[in-house]
Amino acid sequence: MRFLLGISRAIDALSLNINKAVIWLVLLSTLVSAGNALVRYALHSSSNAWLELQWIMFGAIFLLGASYTLMKNGHVRVDVLYSKYPPRVKLWVDLLGTLFFLIPTAVVIFLTSLPWVANSISTREMSPDAGGLPYWPIKLLIPVALVLLILQAISEVIKRLAMLTGHLDIPEYVTEEEAEVQEVKAIVVQNDPKEDKQ
Amino acid sequence: MSFEVMAPLMFVGLIVFLLLGYPVAFSLGAVGLLFGWIGMHYDFIQPVFLQNIPLRIFDTLKNQTLLAIPFFTFMGLILERSGMAEDLLDTVGQLFGRLRGGIAYAVILVGALLGATTGVVAASVIAMGLISLPVMLRYGYSPRVASGVIAASGTLAQIVPPSLVLIVMADQLGVSVGDMYRGALVPSLILTGLYLVYVVVVSLINPKAVPSLPEEARTYRGARLVKRVLTVMIPPLVLIFLVLGTIFIGVATPTEGGAMGAAGALVLAALRRRLSLKVLLQAMESTARLTSFVAFILVGSRIFSLVFVGVDGDRWVENLLKTALPDNPIAFLLVINVLVFLIAFFLDYFEIAFIIIPLILPAVTGIMEGLYPQDYKIGLYWFGVMLGVNLQTSFMHPPFGFALFFLRSVAPPSLKTSDIYWGAVPFVIIQVIMTLVLLFNPWLVTNWLK
Repeated sequence: MRFLLGISRAIDALSLNINKAVIWLVLLSTLVSAGNALVRYALHSSSNAWLELQWIMFGAIFLLGASYTLMKNGHVRVDVLYSKYPPRVKLWVDLLGTLFFLIPTAVVIFLTSLPWVANSISTREMSPDAGGLPYWPIKLLIPVALVLLILQAISEVIKRLAMLTGHLDIPEYVTEEEAEVQEVKAIVVQNDPKEDKQ
Repeated sequence: MSFEVMAPLMFVGLIVFLLLGYPVAFSLGAVGLLFGWIGMHYDFIQPVFLQNIPLRIFDTLKNQTLLAIPFFTFMGLILERSGMAEDLLDTVGQLFGRLRGGIAYAVILVGALLGATTGVVAASVIAMGLISLPVMLRYGYSPRVASGVIAASGTLAQIVPPSLVLIVMADQLGVSVGDMYRGALVPSLILTGLYLVYVVVVSLINPKAVPSLPEEARTYRGARLVKRVLTVMIPPLVLIFLVLGTIFIGVATPTEGGAMGAAGALVLAALRRRLSLKVLLQAMESTARLTSFVAFILVGSRIFSLVFVGVDGDRWVENLLKTALPDNPIAFLLVINVLVFLIAFFLDYFEIAFIIIPLILPAVTGIMEGLYPQDYKIGLYWFGVMLGVNLQTSFMHPPFGFALFFLRSVAPPSLKTSDIYWGAVPFVIIQVIMTLVLLFNPWLVTNWLK
């Protein structure tokens, strides 16, 4: 189990570090998109390459961010029943869900995307629009993101197994909303103008 | 197994898988693939359908509409984390403090303003709960009125453009986001007006429930108040008018408006010296996470619908709705609204938008083709805004409504939970009234479309 937990920690670190880079695309895509809009009004010209860059970055954010989101329990659930399960049942739902829902879905998407991506790479597929960007790199990102997601899923399975067998403490379950409250509360207290004056 | 039972079985499978509580995105994908596999086994579906999966994902990715989601989210987060809500609540509260019910008006107006910067319900309610609620309670507001006003005003972010709900709704209904915003503006203003009227009525019937602030609580006065109003209120108002204005007159697409709004928010935050690296990192991280989970639910729902349509599930639901529900279009829409109102007790708005709307869309489109033979999409805007107002209640109904939960989490223990629940009831009623007003007055939405 110690060996498996080591693998899990390595995968978590990978997802964390990829995400650290990916979040900068939020700022970058904002600036590119705002720049595009300004250029369009000011010079009445627009370039397909810059326009395509916007959604390519959007795609990269959501594809590459998915494994970190999984790690942070950020994919929303219908928690009518889930929130009432005892801790061990929650672990079992997560374990079986990851094994039978997430991993098969991700594997199927991965496998079906391979021939499609291979075709795109072999033809060096370009955007059909004039002056557009090559399409194959962003298409390649789909199987890459799914491999990362499957890796993260394996890490989640290891962690749930370790918790069920007592090798890892079961963390207190915090709903997404509770986490949000904690986060926002700290910010509001810090920004409260009344605090400034004291 | 016969072909006809596939769609009902798949529908039951969907409910069971979702209720287990595993993340929606992958549950949807799993139901889709499981029934795709069964379908292929019985030759109901051709294996070719698998080849469509990457194409559907690529469509999600290229979707210009969805691109507006990270931009508006980022804009809202930057403004919130740089202290806009706190400053606005403090200043507007001082401005209206003299009036009976003044803080309540301030909360409603700030709620609408935060909504117009893509506020997030959680952040708005928490800010109001921490800043305005203690002031209201200290100076003798009725706990029910105070908590009701705060919880409800926070949910205005759901319907006031540029709300994320409207973007998702427009995407799922296949209509333009810009027109969805145009259609939602007047109804959201009327709704804000109804909240204000409620406070006016309370102040007439029971003045003690909403007292004015005493002299010593109004720390800003005269020139200082004017200066404070100018520095705190004008910059975000200018940003809101620029972003929404350019979208409404059609100069900017919603995506461009969102990007420029986010850039503007960064500039405002920097000017106020509130743009630390920490604020920036947190806002980028939250934006990326939201973008990822929303896009993945969409990917899951595309896989589900690929198979569901393959087994004629869309026609099955359409026929089911048409046989079970009344023929009269208004009665039909009324029943749909009641169903959504009830479903909203259990599902949040993203789930409703991505799962329920595609299921009911064919039947609704049929109704709208009858009502608007010239262009059924006009009817879809009406339907979308109506549903948006309806879905706001999912945050408000006791005991599960998240706005109530957020308020409970930050309210002092002396505020009774039952007061929070009872306080929300008048606003749930207002939402129902507004939904009915829209049901019988589609022009309130359709009149402003381009």
